[in-house]
Amino acid sequence: MKGQSGQPRKTGQKKPVATARKSNRPFFIIVGLLLIAGITALSYMATRPKGNVSLADTTLPPVPNTGHVIGSDSAPVEVVEFADFECPACGSFATLTEPDVRKRLVATGVVRYRFMDYPLSMHRNTWSAHRAAWCAGEQGKFWEMHDALFFNQDRWSGETTSRPMGVISDIARGVGVNMDQFSSCVDSRKFDPQIRANQQEAERRQVASTPTFLIGNKKVASAISYDEFKRHVDEAVAQARPASATKTR
Amino acid sequence: MTRRMLTALIALVGLFLAAYLTLYKLGVIGTLACGTGSCETVQLSKWGTFLGLPVAAWGVGFYALVLTLGLVGMHERWEGSRGLLLAQVIVTGWGVLFSGWLTYLELGVIRAICRYCVASAALTITLFVLSWLEWRSQTIDDEAIADSR
Repeated sequence: MKGQSGQPRKTGQKKPVATARKSNRPFFIIVGLLLIAGITALSYMATRPKGNVSLADTTLPPVPNTGHVIGSDSAPVEVVEFADFECPACGSFATLTEPDVRKRLVATGVVRYRFMDYPLSMHRNTWSAHRAAWCAGEQGKFWEMHDALFFNQDRWSGETTSRPMGVISDIARGVGVNMDQFSSCVDSRKFDPQIRANQQEAERRQVASTPTFLIGNKKVASAISYDEFKRHVDEAVAQARPASATKTR
Repeated sequence: MTRRMLTALIALVGLFLAAYLTLYKLGVIGTLACGTGSCETVQLSKWGTFLGLPVAAWGVGFYALVLTLGLVGMHERWEGSRGLLLAQVIVTGWGVLFSGWLTYLELGVIRAICRYCVASAALTITLFVLSWLEWRSQTIDDEAIADSR
């Protein structure tokens, strides 16, 4: 170990305690400042409003009656989800949260749920999945295919394979579609215009990430929890309730 | 400022960087969504997790270990410990290899670059270089002491 002069110190030779303490002081001051700055920054970022909720653009016409819908026509609130089948956050929402949404909000007539395609360019296999979902939908199996595609996302995503159709066909077989009709439909790409139209609808509404939900007058981005989802739905229900009905209460 | 002090400071910066990415991965900071940014692509890919934990959480452990080794090495009692220094070289060397593997995944497999991951890789390489220089310096000193006897 070199001393102040740059000469090697003899084994066992130690710096005077006072000198060592003095030379270490600036270091510990910097460590203290770094600790304060780092902890403050992390605490601020963890507790600030997440910024994933914004007001939907009310100057745009309503979302067209496209995509795939589940739920009652008379439900007071329609939730529109823009999603990408290869997006892990969409997969997380579809497998962890959406079952609760369907059971507690859709099946009870509170929410009508509309799925709109938003295949992102960063995902190389997503168009195959969107085509497959539409082709399963042609046989009345869209939601079964939707669930199975998300559940098995890691088997066919671009990180796993560059040839996803083998796995996707297996998934389609598993949900019980007619495979001849399905394969011919996928090969023909006949639903590409609908998928592209939904994609353009997302871009028109400046959807920057998936999943993004339109709930009432709000645009909510990210794979939110059921509780947060329900809170937005409750607010939308309250807004949808006629003013006269509110007054009679 | 000695090399060990510099090592501890850089490890502390890396610790906060890794903690930020871990909290992001857990959804505590910001949104968990697939956007157009490459960081989301990398963090949300299957390579964002290693042995059941977010890769960034392994980074937290790595930087905490290097920080501990750096701070302990500054103590008078451990100042001349070659074992401690060797451990630091091995740990940071392992960090460089792991960072190299992650960078390969970003460029070759995921095809997206996360700037925080690049920053972490740069910190890790710096930590290794500092540790190696300290190890070499101590070896030269020890040889000089042995020769003078």
